Amino acid sequence: MQTQGATRWEAAMDRLGDWFPFGKAPLIILLLVLVSGGWLLLHPVKRTQATLRFWTFADTHYYAYLNAKPSFEAAHPGQTVDFQFVHGQAVTTRLRAAFWANLDVPDMVEVEISAAGSFFRGPSDDIGFEDLTPRLKAEGLFDRMVKARFAPYTHRGRIYGLPHDVHPVMLAYRRDIFEAEGIDVSKLQTWDDLIAIGRRVTIPDKRYLLDFPDASPSGLEMCLFQRDGGYFDSGGRCIMDSPVAVETLKWYIPLVAGPNMIADDPGWGQPWVKAVEDGYLLTFTCPDWRSKFTEQQIARMAGKLALMPLPAVKPGGRRTSSWGGTMLGLTKACPNKDLAWQLAKHLYLNPEELAKRFRDTNILPALKEAWTHEAINEPRPYWSNQPIGKLYAELAGDVPPQYASPYIEFAKGKLSEVVSSCANYYKKNGEAGFAAFAEARLKGAADEVREMMKRNPF
Amino acid sequence: MLGSAYYRWQHKYAPYLFTAPFLLTFAVFALYPMAKSLVLAFYITSGPKSQVFVGLGNFAFMLRDPNFYVAVKNTAVFALFSVFLQLPLSLGLAVLLNAKFLKLRNAFRFGFFSPYLLGQVFVAVLFSVIFAPRLGLLNRALAAVALMPSNTDWLGDPDRVMPALVLTALWMYVGFNMIYFLAALQAVDKDLYDAAAVDGAGPFQRFVHVTLPSIKPVAVFVVVLSTIGSFQLFELPYLMLRNGPGPEQAGLTIVMYLYQKGFEAGDLGYASVVGWSLALGVLGISLLQMRLAGTWKRET
Repeated sequence: MQTQGATRWEAAMDRLGDWFPFGKAPLIILLLVLVSGGWLLLHPVKRTQATLRFWTFADTHYYAYLNAKPSFEAAHPGQTVDFQFVHGQAVTTRLRAAFWANLDVPDMVEVEISAAGSFFRGPSDDIGFEDLTPRLKAEGLFDRMVKARFAPYTHRGRIYGLPHDVHPVMLAYRRDIFEAEGIDVSKLQTWDDLIAIGRRVTIPDKRYLLDFPDASPSGLEMCLFQRDGGYFDSGGRCIMDSPVAVETLKWYIPLVAGPNMIADDPGWGQPWVKAVEDGYLLTFTCPDWRSKFTEQQIARMAGKLALMPLPAVKPGGRRTSSWGGTMLGLTKACPNKDLAWQLAKHLYLNPEELAKRFRDTNILPALKEAWTHEAINEPRPYWSNQPIGKLYAELAGDVPPQYASPYIEFAKGKLSEVVSSCANYYKKNGEAGFAAFAEARLKGAADEVREMMKRNPF
Repeated sequence: MLGSAYYRWQHKYAPYLFTAPFLLTFAVFALYPMAKSLVLAFYITSGPKSQVFVGLGNFAFMLRDPNFYVAVKNTAVFALFSVFLQLPLSLGLAVLLNAKFLKLRNAFRFGFFSPYLLGQVFVAVLFSVIFAPRLGLLNRALAAVALMPSNTDWLGDPDRVMPALVLTALWMYVGFNMIYFLAALQAVDKDLYDAAAVDGAGPFQRFVHVTLPSIKPVAVFVVVLSTIGSFQLFELPYLMLRNGPGPEQAGLTIVMYLYQKGFEAGDLGYASVVGWSLALGVLGISLLQMRLAGTWKRET
């Protein structure tokens, strides 16, 4: 029986060989291709059926929006929202590709402030976001929200984003160590006051007062904003080498480099956590979003940290700056723009929702009328019982504007080079020739940005 | 009759049918983009929707663009380290792991090769932690032997970025290249060694006069492959330096610059010029390497 079966099998193989003479392996590959291809054709990935598709890059926003979703859908029967949490870097690259290809464009998307300008390149018709100016005017939102926060999302007089936040910056400090050192923060009114303390308490390689970096622009740019400097002015002109910028750079570098440095950048994540816990860092710049991040990452510091306004440049001057931000844009591809606008208002302009969200995120909303809500004014045990929402709100009206430009990322890269090269120069040469070097380096960087801008024919 | 006609049809068209998927894919994803990028090189663009013809403007701009030269310099330095540091080490390891006296050779071979299996993204994340200031493994180790203070910022100091990248690539690729050399060494005719030994050649002379000439074709292949790979460097520095070129652009490579210009700035035209410069540069260097090694000969 067995022999008969084997013979039949061999005969079948011979017939198959006549029909398909390229061997068994190619035949198996062909069959696999046909079977898997057929299976994929019969089981396509299900398309989202939601009325609105919304991308956000921040997990805190995402979970808060999921909580706000039922009330919106209940108020709009038959309409559904699909919130999607997309990594920050992926939002930028995927959204850019989606705009370019007119493919898979979400209806609404939150974009980080430093990436927003890159979406305003080219002719206005090519910008993938809807111009929100008429809707903002109709709703009277310019007066209800912090006006300075529209600037980063404005290009050629059109506003493409609704500001999610204000992000005033305060200084978080190790209250326990400050008290042990006899430092009275109420007397630290200016940067000069703080720097004097820094010179006293800093122990090289063991303890530093500030967390300003010497190889990236975040610290310098925050100080620049506080002094009404920045990358671009309201007309889109590059002001990176303005007198304010030169003076700020010359003031900043000796804080982060050289023998009298009082700042060190331990990096992000665990190294930063350990630096705060170990008392290696006595203070760190703390916009509202970072205060929640701190609570989550350095839980062991509960009750040992407190917040104070940034020192002013001159007595009576601005006691804050700005770091970070998010805009909500409606895409031109969205077929239900009115509904999308309703959702935007539900998420960004509903004081009750905003107050609830503040408890989850510590992010002060850009809507001023929400700041009086009790959730924003309650004391926080983690922050030594300070009412941190109230503290941030008191500074929010004074937050400096940042102006948008399609060249903002390039300019940031150039400023980063300037900071790094000036810090290296200062480490090697000290004050000798530093002022001229810093000025020349800043001018060179600004000229590069201008050269790049000149290439723009649109 | 029908069977024989079908058989003839198969023999005539089967080669075309089998090569068609590749040719189609190659045409769509390689030939067309290459042709399109050549056209784009003469335009300034804002994404694919808007473009303005500038003739040779992009080429002229590249010649006076300091960032491009920084990218070329960094990439060339990395390539030099790859060829003159990584490959000799790979060859040395291969010779060592080919020695009969060594026990657990297969385990060592797998051990040295395994970093390659991790992939560049994982390796970049891993080494970002290793190079972290204060708490990074490398700083801890160096501080333990009192060579350096423990807060050396490897990825924040422009003078240390390239050494950090070279070290990372070394860890990842030295075992990969070793496999090529190992295969070549195992193919060397043993009789040649016996004959050389009879003629009185010592181990070093046998290596120089027997081993090296025998593995030359593979060595040239590895050098060319390594050079091409080095000039395509992107993921390692991009991820290790937090999606950017690092301090003072010390980690900016040609492909990273191409990516920045094309996909971050939307200037696909200028990115095309950078891309074509890279392709022509790599082609020239590879041909030069093959010519110098004497392996590039006209077919007769």
